[in-house]
Amino acid sequence: MLQGLRLQRLPSVQPGIALAMRALAIAIVVLAASIALLVAGEDPIALGAQLVSATFSSTFGMEDFGLLVIPLILTGLSVAVGQQIGIWNIGAEGQFLVGAFAATAVGLFVPGPAWLILPLIIAAGALGGVVWILVPTLARAFVGVNELITTLLLNFVAALLVYYVSTGPWRDRVGMSNSSTPRITVEMPEFWGLIHWGLPIAILMALAAAAILAFSRWGYEVRLSGSNPSAAAYAGIAVRRHIITVMLLSGLIAGVAGAFELAGTVHRLQGGISNNFGYLGIMVAVLARNSCVGVIFTGILMAFILNSGIILQTQGITTSAVLAMTGAILFLTAIGDELAHYRILRAGSTRA
Amino acid sequence: MNATQDRYIAAPGTAPLVQLKGIAKYFPGVVANQDVDLDVLPGEIHALLGENGAGKSTLMNILTGIYQPDAGEITIDGYAKEFATPLDAIAAGIGMVHQHFKLVQAFTVAENIHLGWSETPRLASARKLEARTKALAERFNLHVRADARINELSTGEQQRVEILRVLAREARILILDEPTAVLTPAEARELFKALREFTSRGNAVIFISHKLDEVLEISDRITILRGGRRIATHDTSECNPRMLARLMVGRDIVLADMRQRPPGAAPRSAEPILRLESVSALDDGGKTALHDITLDIHAGEIVGIAGVAGNGQRELSHVLTGLRRIASGRIVVDGAPIGAGDAAAFSELGIGHIPEDRLRSGLAPAMSVAINAVMREYKKPPIGSGGLYRSGAATLLAREIAKAADVAVPDFAMPVRNLSGGNQQRLVARREMRIAHKVLVAAYPSRGLDVGAINTMLRYIVELRDAGAGIVLISEDLEELLNLSDRIAVLYEGRLMGALENDKIDVEQIGLLMGGRTVRKEAA
Ligand SMILES: Nc1ncnc2c1ncn2[C@@H]1O[C@H](COP(=O)(O)OP(=O)(O)OP(=O)(O)O)[C@@H](O)[C@H]1O
Ligand SMILES: [Mg+2]
Repeated sequence: MLQGLRLQRLPSVQPGIALAMRALAIAIVVLAASIALLVAGEDPIALGAQLVSATFSSTFGMEDFGLLVIPLILTGLSVAVGQQIGIWNIGAEGQFLVGAFAATAVGLFVPGPAWLILPLIIAAGALGGVVWILVPTLARAFVGVNELITTLLLNFVAALLVYYVSTGPWRDRVGMSNSSTPRITVEMPEFWGLIHWGLPIAILMALAAAAILAFSRWGYEVRLSGSNPSAAAYAGIAVRRHIITVMLLSGLIAGVAGAFELAGTVHRLQGGISNNFGYLGIMVAVLARNSCVGVIFTGILMAFILNSGIILQTQGITTSAVLAMTGAILFLTAIGDELAHYRILRAGSTRA
Repeated sequence: MNATQDRYIAAPGTAPLVQLKGIAKYFPGVVANQDVDLDVLPGEIHALLGENGAGKSTLMNILTGIYQPDAGEITIDGYAKEFATPLDAIAAGIGMVHQHFKLVQAFTVAENIHLGWSETPRLASARKLEARTKALAERFNLHVRADARINELSTGEQQRVEILRVLAREARILILDEPTAVLTPAEARELFKALREFTSRGNAVIFISHKLDEVLEISDRITILRGGRRIATHDTSECNPRMLARLMVGRDIVLADMRQRPPGAAPRSAEPILRLESVSALDDGGKTALHDITLDIHAGEIVGIAGVAGNGQRELSHVLTGLRRIASGRIVVDGAPIGAGDAAAFSELGIGHIPEDRLRSGLAPAMSVAINAVMREYKKPPIGSGGLYRSGAATLLAREIAKAADVAVPDFAMPVRNLSGGNQQRLVARREMRIAHKVLVAAYPSRGLDVGAINTMLRYIVELRDAGAGIVLISEDLEELLNLSDRIAVLYEGRLMGALENDKIDVEQIGLLMGGRTVRKEAA
């Protein structure tokens, strides 16, 4: 029997330990991947060196990498913002898709000069994200329905919607492809090479969110509501109203991510446009311990992992291996976070 | 002091059950314990005294494996021990009931008792667990409702569950951190009986309390801590309250007479400043907790609400501070009716609230001292003008409040739960008094405070009254109520009985009312 092994849960975790747990999770996964590569007859060190140089020593590499950073920071921010008040937005994926969808609608069907249409596209994306989280928000705020399930389920609806319009009514009838809309004519201006202005904007949004939370009255109320709702109610804070605004904001950010992806990177709506960014955003936020500034860095880290996957593909290693790796990192981080709460006891001094 | 007949007498030369030697514990900026020696003999009740923040809870957290000492040794039954975790300590027969309970709110009493216990039968039905709980309750003479959920229980009831939980695990050393702070005198007597029974079998109790009378009554020996160090250990028979107070504080404590109104004090206003008209309200479970309550609070008076906790005290303080909607009736502030259930409006009108459970509702334990200290004033300049939250200004205000509350805070960014229990209470009280221009609703305000701090707290309450605020003082401590109140009403099963002028009160009467019996009207 395992009678001797017991755990004691501590109320809080020191940030240092939590960060160490994250580093450890990543190290374990990299190590496991290296061993797998060795077994498969590859040289993990050479591959690793190749990954770094392919990403950082060529303009192409940097561009690909940078384009991945943008959606990952934003979806990570979306999840992290929800967590400030204790909400798990699992639906950033769906909000991202609907954001891209709404942005496409404007891009395809609203004529006008680019300086006018571009802001409209982004606003439409934001609105799409808000609309997509609206029902889970109201259900949570007024009936107490857990947002985990509602936001998750809507992801599938969003995926179907995007798939339907991009292969059906909005299909590109001129081009070669049957599975995407025509290219929208307006696009995000470039910031550096192919990397569009979405990158600095995403970073600014993360910094702004952090600043608002730390330095505004609204942020104070949100943080208090997230930390102890009954104390917030006692202080006269409208906790429910804050839950609503925070959830809508979370959806808005994910929707903007979708609009950026559409207008800056992909330019046409297609089924796989979300590329799991919404789900990866959960991971970005968890790795950042829900710090809005932290998601900038974990977003970059996640982009590097994803980009590595794409490069490895050229080496005949499938992308699913990379998905498995990211999944494993998240999994281990979650376990590590839990473990950081516990102290493990030896059986020695325990009487049965 | 007379019930010595069945006292366990340890054979001469018996090893102490617990022996602490040279214990030290440091937190950033604080010496919580230093050089502390403590012997606890079989069969004794050993009291631990000291001011708020003296290091009592920390020392006990070390003995129970929650903290590891930075120096020193722990010897149990003659064997040196190192407790890596609380479970090690439990295995060595040490159980503790904490100042802040650690029960799972959504679970029943029976589930809480059996949680994480190796003797819990596997696959036991709820009924079986409840039956076991009832048997335990009988055995240890602690009455609990086995099938009730914790969040339905009064604080006093929750404590009994905590104690039962520890005793059920066959602890030989029971540590109680301010157990009677939340008990009625009758409940406290029950507890003492249970403790005596427990020690008569050769077990020991370590008892932390700020109530000197009670310590003198129940303990065999007393150890006093000051500033983290052990000042003295005495046989209780050699002690008296004055000497203990002096040992704790390092100077004499002069108990102020609170009944005198100084010249120039605000008189009692003609019109009530806060009025409940036939107010009924539900508790969290949807049952009627307050029946048709009518109560006038005038400016410049203290209205004491006596009664045993759990008779609607929580709901009454909620209604008075806008935290709870009312089912019927009307609340009138300064002549104008006010919508119930809008806590912000109440506090903006100048109604402060010292809640009965500071950790659950008065503070966000995981957030910083500064954030907690400014909870009532973050909207006002200099912290909150223009929609901003100026954390620098917040820290300044927090510093001011902490200073007024006489709480030493090494770092205003540390979580407020790192403060000692009494210091949390002082902070909350000062925070509320700052905004209570009209009314202060104080539920058990001296709970957890040391002798000196109680004195200060009560003096502040009286000063607030003299400055023209109306005070609602909810307490179980009759002495405190009689000492402070201008009028006293009794809350029993959600009904308010009598609002007797203090001069006309006799204690017997109040006692009867608290037990639910009505008073025969006397010709005045
Ligand atoms: N986890 C912690 N981190 C930092 N400081 C702490 C921590 N725990 C306790 N302290 C500090 O150690 C000192 C002793 O605290 P302790 O809780 O032991 O006091 P106490 O004697 O139990 O007081 P009270 O009568 O108010 O309960 C206090 O100054 C407190 O702020
Ligand atoms: Mg304490």
